[in-house]
Amino acid sequence: MKQEIAFLSLLFILGSLLLIANPHYGLKFAFNSTHEWLTYRYTDNYYITHGLTDVGGNNIVTDIVFDYRGYDTIGEATVLFTAIAGAVALLRPWRRDEK
Amino acid sequence: MRGQRPSTGREMEVDMGLIVKTMARVTIPFIGIFGAYIVMHGHLTPGGGFQGGSTLAGAGILFLVAFGLKEAEKKVNKKVYSALEGVGGLVFLGAALLGFSVAFFYNTLWHNGPFFNGKPGTLLSAGFLPIMNLAVGLKVFSGFVAVAVSIAAFRRWRG
Repeated sequence: MKQEIAFLSLLFILGSLLLIANPHYGLKFAFNSTHEWLTYRYTDNYYITHGLTDVGGNNIVTDIVFDYRGYDTIGEATVLFTAIAGAVALLRPWRRDEK
Repeated sequence: MRGQRPSTGREMEVDMGLIVKTMARVTIPFIGIFGAYIVMHGHLTPGGGFQGGSTLAGAGILFLVAFGLKEAEKKVNKKVYSALEGVGGLVFLGAALLGFSVAFFYNTLWHNGPFFNGKPGTLLSAGFLPIMNLAVGLKVFSGFVAVAVSIAAFRRWRG
């Protein structure tokens, strides 16, 4: 009995999600026309058109990650460095292990 | 498991046996070549320093897992690898500082640099992006290998 109720509620949630996420009368996650896209997401267009001349890499993702969003990459490298330093520092033999 | 002896849990301590070792010997060069390709072509094709470095570290960790810690410690000095990680981060910061006369992370090598200023789409182009990719790849590779080796070397449980 409990299992049936669980399955039915899962189905109900899925159905209501389908209704909500329908682009015709529900939430809209994307834009329909190119004009709307260029109006609200002009940053993407800037990266696509200017990335090659500004930074010089064919790979726009690398252009963004290493140039436009370089501070983010520095933070990520710092997080990686801290994690690895912490792991190595925690894993080395402690004094009370050396009997 | 090696004849009819009951398993003591110590067979895996040295290495993982002939089959895994042979497969690792065959596949590690290919994984290494692919990882180096991803790092080197980070500014041209999908991928980059982090992804290629992780692939290279996968080759190193496969070596460690397949051949055991004793073989791996002959090739990997984890102190050197920890230092190399710092060197990678410093090279990354230095490449970012190259264009500091305009702004941090200004790609001055690409706009008016003496090298790495070829046509877009060639290997020697895109200014500091190849340098940064190599630095991040070195950093990620050495960091992951150092962590895997230290996890294997400093384990406290009985196998």
